[in-house]
Amino acid sequence: MTDGGLDATDPRTLPGFFDALADGELLGGVCADCGQVLLPPRPACYACGSRAVDVEPQSREGRVFSYTAVHTPPPAFAADAPYTVAVVELADGGRLLGRVTADYADVAIGDAVELTVREPTAAEREVALDYETDWPVHVFEPR
Amino acid sequence: MPQPVIASVGASPLGRTDLPGRDLFSVALAEAFDGLPDPADLVEAVYVGNQSESYEHQIMYGTLLAEWAGLRHVPAERVEGCAAAGALALRHAVKDVRNGEHEAVLACGVEKMTSAGTSGATDALSAAFDRAIEQRSGITAPSQYALLAQRYLHETEATERDLAEIAVKNHANAARNPRAQFPKEIDVATVLESDPIAPPLKLYDCAPVGDGAAAVLVTTAELAADLDRPQVRVAGSGASANNIAVAERDMTDVAGARIAAETAYEEAGIDAAAVDIAEVHDAFTVCEALLAEAAGFAPAGTGYQSYRAPAERADGWTDVQLSPSGGLKARGHPIGATGLLQALEAYEQLTGAAGDRAVEGAETALLLNEGGVADAVTVGHVLTTAEAP
Repeated sequence: MTDGGLDATDPRTLPGFFDALADGELLGGVCADCGQVLLPPRPACYACGSRAVDVEPQSREGRVFSYTAVHTPPPAFAADAPYTVAVVELADGGRLLGRVTADYADVAIGDAVELTVREPTAAEREVALDYETDWPVHVFEPR
Repeated sequence: MPQPVIASVGASPLGRTDLPGRDLFSVALAEAFDGLPDPADLVEAVYVGNQSESYEHQIMYGTLLAEWAGLRHVPAERVEGCAAAGALALRHAVKDVRNGEHEAVLACGVEKMTSAGTSGATDALSAAFDRAIEQRSGITAPSQYALLAQRYLHETEATERDLAEIAVKNHANAARNPRAQFPKEIDVATVLESDPIAPPLKLYDCAPVGDGAAAVLVTTAELAADLDRPQVRVAGSGASANNIAVAERDMTDVAGARIAAETAYEEAGIDAAAVDIAEVHDAFTVCEALLAEAAGFAPAGTGYQSYRAPAERADGWTDVQLSPSGGLKARGHPIGATGLLQALEAYEQLTGAAGDRAVEGAETALLLNEGGVADAVTVGHVLTTAEAP
């Protein structure tokens, strides 16, 4: 185990992951023993328990695995509702949940999407914890 | 090894109530200890299932409820596992009795969900999801389960109408349950035409927000006999966590729930076919379908048939009756109390106290209580009558 050296620049921590994402790079943990992709990266593989996790760039292209629309949002997102949310399976095998910039009626399982990032809105900064305020927000755009 | 049993149960009214959490507990406790010595003369430890301090800005629920029960200088703590908190409290009590540490432990649960309105409850429940990715995307409890439902409808022959039928069945059961939050029957059209919450889930696919408390006294078989109380054996207990992020799971196989159930079966020395009744965590209609499969009652992809009579279900289904209480959907779902309300239903069913909703001949019950989205953590218990083989 080498986790003792983890600091906020390491992409196996959330600040490190989001710093890279702000630069347009989606990093995943890839288990050296079983190949499981971990989004975001972390020190251990949930699939096999190995702590031999490499950090590798991930494709930002994927397909909708499941989706819905949020009609009853948390208070912070009330102005956005209804909004579409999906679980997306990325081309390199990892899965990520995020918003889709399309109406619910225009989305279907299997649709091709691409991950993009944007700055948090004022409303999102309002509810962000101190350490989150500069983290980018990822959204999926239909391809 | 002492045999843990449930020796008494009690609950507050469920739904929108005018009592704060501690007072709801006092009502549940009074029922559970009616005809028994005072709690101070029996109870050696207290576990409190409680989801969130955001409803009442209150933590230290272990200390608070021990005090309200008249107990001092006993171990007391709150346990948290979102909606599985109540069953975790039961599990801790069972383990304490089983390992001989205590002879009588109070497992209780409480939630006062209506105090912050729907938006406050939505916000509190969203805290159960991974903060970094999922909460920041604006996901909610219904929309998380909608992702499961969408995928389930995609992979199986189930339809939105089938999910609606699960709600209809549970309301019909609740109509015979005097404890239920919604003791009224509904029809399929009511479900299908209700407001969209997170498609394909609609308002009537969702368990309600509500207040409530439940108390369950866990003792040894010997003590329950001394107290002259009907007793139900806790023959097995299991728990399992799965990934917190729903995206990382198999979205139609709730593997954590399956392991929790199988662990409980193994401890009890039974298999799924031996279960007569099951109280499963139908926070959303699709949950009942998924949990019927995870519990081994239904072949993969057929759990949605839980509303049908046993003879009308797919080959390979057992003849189990699901959620005779009305389930979370219609009996009510005051988060921290839910796992204990499941135990209460099983206790009443297995001791002949279930009145009009009694399932004839029921000797073995499975309880499955989930926390977070689906099987982020699941707790399973097998309860049997004292006479069961």
